[in-house]
Amino acid sequence: MEKKKRKVDEINASSMADIAFLLLIFFLVATTMDVDTGMTRVLPPWVDAEKQKDNTDINQRNVLKVSISKGGRILVDEAEYTQADLIRDKQTNESRLSQETKTFLLSPDRSDKKDTVVNNQRLTLSEGVVSLKADKETQYKVYIEVQNELTHAFNEIREDYSQRLYQSSFEDLDPEQRTVISKLVPLKISEAEPNDQTKK
Amino acid sequence: MAKKGKKEVPKLSTSSLPDVIFMILFFFMVSTSMRDKDVIVTNVLPQATEITKLDKKNLISIYVGVPLDQQNVAGSAPRIQLNDSFQSTAAIRDFIASEVERRDEAERSKLTVNLRVDENSTMGIVTDVKQELRKAQANKISYAARQK
Repeated sequence: MEKKKRKVDEINASSMADIAFLLLIFFLVATTMDVDTGMTRVLPPWVDAEKQKDNTDINQRNVLKVSISKGGRILVDEAEYTQADLIRDKQTNESRLSQETKTFLLSPDRSDKKDTVVNNQRLTLSEGVVSLKADKETQYKVYIEVQNELTHAFNEIREDYSQRLYQSSFEDLDPEQRTVISKLVPLKISEAEPNDQTKK
Repeated sequence: MAKKGKKEVPKLSTSSLPDVIFMILFFFMVSTSMRDKDVIVTNVLPQATEITKLDKKNLISIYVGVPLDQQNVAGSAPRIQLNDSFQSTAAIRDFIASEVERRDEAERSKLTVNLRVDENSTMGIVTDVKQELRKAQANKISYAARQK
């Protein structure tokens, strides 16, 4: 007995492309590709007002005081800086502020400098703290520029150490080596309490 | 001229077109992320060079800037935007708490508060926000900035 074979109609798939296009366009419109970028910081934990007083024990010699006042004037340990000092020199890729911060962090005459030997190389531990104060009226843009230059100084030192220790750029290091460098050069930028401003 | 056997150009097969489109679609689905909530304040981020990339799913965003419209109601001074509305500094603690609650326990330690502050704001409001964040024990922050 021969059964008549019934052919199943093929489903017309020509509109599939249109459907896919529609979905594609939806995703193109509703999503973004940009990555969030920023400067990460860790704030000090909150302490109550009474306890705060005996918390200022850091050796003043190891603190580089940077303060920004209303008109965008920048004071670094009594020396006055202007906006022009934040601009990087094209050849050295250093601004006056980052240069000054670097010299401060690496200055050999400070008391609590510690030398450590890693991979048979003597490296100086950086114990310097940069204290950054900003007036209430300071423009955020200026504040970020200053932060940027300070961070640049730290990053340059890290880069330098990483070249000396591992002969490669800090960015290419594996996490373990990174922690070694980060411990040698901790990013110590203290963002002062707002009430500190009135003290001075 | 007599009828010559017309040579027809064979039709281009489009049967693989959907596959191609689907591939592009999947690429976009994987490599992009959904658009953020609407920003209702001016938000031109400052420029910097020493920036790092941040993982979007570990971020809590706080916007600070001048209200874009309804200035007669919202004022023309910089305001804080949490979720989709203007809030006072006092609301930050609850906001952080509710955001932390939403995440998995394992991810909570990685959470970073992303301060998306307009470059023309003043430090006063930023400091207030930072003090509130310290009280809320959200100590990991990031100053959002663009690549210079």
